[in-house]
Amino acid sequence: MLEVSTQEGIAAPRSDGKTVGEDFLTDDFVRQLINVGEIDILVGLHTHNNVKTIGPVVAAIQSGILQWFPRDRAAIIDADAGSSDGTPELVAGASIDDIRPQDFNRLALRTLHSISTQYGNSVARGTALRTILAAGELLGAKAIVVVSPDSTNIKADWLRDFLRPISTDDFDLVLPTYARPRFEGLLITNLLYPMTRALYGLRIREPYAPEFAFSNRLGSRFLAQNQWNDDDARAGCEVRLTLAAIVGGLRIGQCFLGAKNHVERNAADLVPALRQTIGVLFWSMESSFPVWSSRSGSQSIPTTGSEQQFTVDLQRVNRKRLLEMFRSGVKELESLFQSILSPTTLAELQGIAELEEGDFHYSAELWVKTVYEFAAAHHKEVISRDHIIQALAPLFRGRALAFLLENRNASASEVEMRVEGLCLDFERLKPYLLEMWTGKQ
Amino acid sequence: MALKQDALWYKDAVIYQVHVRTFHDSNGDGIGDFQGLEQKLEYLEELGVNALWLMPFFPSPLRDAGYDIADYRTVHPSYGTLEDFRKFLNSAHERGIRVIIEMVLNHTSDQHPWFQQARSSRENAYRDWYVWSETDTRYAGTRIIFLDTEMSNWAWDPISKAYYWHRFFSHQPDLNYDNPVVREEMWDVMKFWLEAGVDGFRLDAVPYLTEREGTNCENLPETHAILKDFRRRLDEQFPGRMLLAEANQWPADLRPYFADGDEFHMAFHFPLMPRMFMGVKLEDRKPITEILQQTPEIPASCQWCLFLRNHDELTLEMVTDVERDYMYDVYAGNKAMRLNLGIRRRLAPLLDNDRRCIELLNGMLMSLPGTPIIYYGDEIGMGDNVNLGDRDGVRTPMQWSGDWNAGFSAADPESLCAPLILNPIYGYPAINTLAQRRTPHSLFSWMRRMISVRRSTRVFGNGSMEFLYPANHRILAYVRRLENETVLVVNNLSSAAQAVELDLQAFTGSILIEMFGKNIFPRAGKAPYLLTLGPYQFYWFRLRRI
Repeated sequence: MLEVSTQEGIAAPRSDGKTVGEDFLTDDFVRQLINVGEIDILVGLHTHNNVKTIGPVVAAIQSGILQWFPRDRAAIIDADAGSSDGTPELVAGASIDDIRPQDFNRLALRTLHSISTQYGNSVARGTALRTILAAGELLGAKAIVVVSPDSTNIKADWLRDFLRPISTDDFDLVLPTYARPRFEGLLITNLLYPMTRALYGLRIREPYAPEFAFSNRLGSRFLAQNQWNDDDARAGCEVRLTLAAIVGGLRIGQCFLGAKNHVERNAADLVPALRQTIGVLFWSMESSFPVWSSRSGSQSIPTTGSEQQFTVDLQRVNRKRLLEMFRSGVKELESLFQSILSPTTLAELQGIAELEEGDFHYSAELWVKTVYEFAAAHHKEVISRDHIIQALAPLFRGRALAFLLENRNASASEVEMRVEGLCLDFERLKPYLLEMWTGKQ
Repeated sequence: MALKQDALWYKDAVIYQVHVRTFHDSNGDGIGDFQGLEQKLEYLEELGVNALWLMPFFPSPLRDAGYDIADYRTVHPSYGTLEDFRKFLNSAHERGIRVIIEMVLNHTSDQHPWFQQARSSRENAYRDWYVWSETDTRYAGTRIIFLDTEMSNWAWDPISKAYYWHRFFSHQPDLNYDNPVVREEMWDVMKFWLEAGVDGFRLDAVPYLTEREGTNCENLPETHAILKDFRRRLDEQFPGRMLLAEANQWPADLRPYFADGDEFHMAFHFPLMPRMFMGVKLEDRKPITEILQQTPEIPASCQWCLFLRNHDELTLEMVTDVERDYMYDVYAGNKAMRLNLGIRRRLAPLLDNDRRCIELLNGMLMSLPGTPIIYYGDEIGMGDNVNLGDRDGVRTPMQWSGDWNAGFSAADPESLCAPLILNPIYGYPAINTLAQRRTPHSLFSWMRRMISVRRSTRVFGNGSMEFLYPANHRILAYVRRLENETVLVVNNLSSAAQAVELDLQAFTGSILIEMFGKNIFPRAGKAPYLLTLGPYQFYWFRLRRI
């Protein structure tokens, strides 16, 4: 059936009354959902061999419901990617009565269902989110919060911070902000946040968050977007959800959650991360051109707690390796860059690739122009779009190195100022993006 | 029909709680009386109840609905004479209906001659019949029950210039059960009524009979010793009579009132009642299964007394703070509905007059382990009047018909003992027994059928119970068993239709026979047994191996 577009870029439920996504749920899962019945709150988990961390996460969820939503009908739905370590059994076996608060008066009023369903044998976050969305729609959940299974520092208050804006203030999407070490999340601080902010005019600090909450309105619309069988579209589902809310003109808020536990990543993770973030962002620019092209500047969005905090960074970063990867990328991908970048930008990049670490500097303005030229190249599909995304990886490493060097001795507030400066450069140079986007070259 | 000889009659009883004052007025003075009650025994027999619990009918200043007794050995003149009572009692027995009367042991009215004597002089022989003190600081660990009206459990007596102890209203001084003369006198009072032929007592406020410093003055061993002594005398002198405890306590604290089957025969299960209401509003069996799991086993000769509503407020003392707040919000949005730690409303208005929900709760009342009590008027869905003071809003005249004064009394309406319910929903023109007895599908007719089915088997009053825990938490399912009889009860606590899969493997091969229509349902097997239930629907199935 045809979808009916109601707002910019957002599809409505199908006119036959059937929701896209119903059919892919297993009969066993549907039977479990029948037992749950209509609910107010759905807490979604997407797991894969998380047995070491899932116990405290589920306990924190239960405590949060007990403390902040004792009267609400709630369920925990775990979409599992075929764990072999007992994670699903642990989730499904959890009972709200396992929580024995010191205060007798805090015993649970209601049954809390905890269900685990296997959606495949390998991790596919999009499919996991789709499972959670479909369950939420079938159960009529008014608010859905997705919690990362490895958020070992999760607190009961997180549920309040995520869900209250939706249940009481009619927000559609609540994203987190964290207290991060200065040099953690560089992809977010140097690319995703400033780029999203400049494009859509909203200061969303974590557009690619492992935890987030949304309304049934946003959930249903997002689920109805008939792109779930497209591998590219399934990737980066978190960013796509954020973009759906932005483009749909829905209410977005943020909540400060405190320190974010650090998940170790190796260098090889960067390209997939870029695909799932900046790749999705570039992709969204195609359909949402009327929205982003008409916006300038930016405005803050309602936030509970502070917008962002930087803390002292105890991490050691291998700067030498970053520089080497940048240099080799600039050299080896020169032919690709000739298709993607303007001669001026390429020349400047080649110039800084010659610098020694002590003199290395990748300016904010050059970085913004680089990104914008990549976006335009992606739009014009000058080469394979996936190659474009991959080619951005070494340049991002160069920018990351420059940021590290610039802020080596900076205080948290100085780092924040530099991030803000970068964002303003993205906003200031937006006309350059439009010029590149619409230009013939 | 003569009364059957059955020492455990109370286990199979369906009790009807009635206030003589507001049930039926035979002499047109605006106040119900025993002759009026006797005239309505036919109605009660038709309803199918086989026991009555009478609220206090003794001489009293009536500052607490008769729970402030001024003379234990006769009948309040407004309700008739002692002879009228005896005549009523005989008539009830002839119809196979037993009569349980109220006995307020803990306190008297301050107008009782005993108290008048006691306060007249410190040297008076009755002085030690009550609990006196020079200060109001003794027994400081004792809670105040009537929080809305009382500041202390001590009241100053300006006549004898001392404080007297009272757990309820200050005009209800507590008797001193440490005084053996008092204990003997109160047994004599009970004996007086037992000799008159009553079948049992509902002993009011029993946890509070004695006081000890450093305790909360509730459930004390000395209190249990006194009650056991009364029981011993009862069994020796009046076998087959029954004692019912009113002790608003947690199950674990209630358990000692059964002792080894040698203290009380029955006790109210106070904590269960609010949780039944909570269960249907939450649409979740959790509150009900939890409290019943916490309910200890009781001796085989003992029984729980279950009720939905009574003459008091829907008490919320035996719930947590979170639960109480929830109950207030969902059942007493109007603060006028709240009293002390409870909600002063009748069954039908509490449930928004939702017939299906009223039926469901009555179905649970009749099928959970215990003896059910129906509060007068709830069998026809009477309403209440929250504008009346104290708990008077749930004690309005019985609505017999759409005639003058609802058929309750021939008196002028202004002289009625309590105002009639007149609103368009619950007023007597709309809700009355005459109309409902003539309507096959009225609530009255349904209740009559329900009681009949309940009484068709001994399993509900005597059987064991085990919960089934289907994954659908909106379904409360349990199995009642007695000897070769097995009954499966399935309740949908939700206002929406539900599907449920029951694990009936243990009953593989049994045919399910629905007890109201006697229709056969598919045989139970090893596969999950699928049932669908409409909003608030329930089933009682007899399981038969044929």
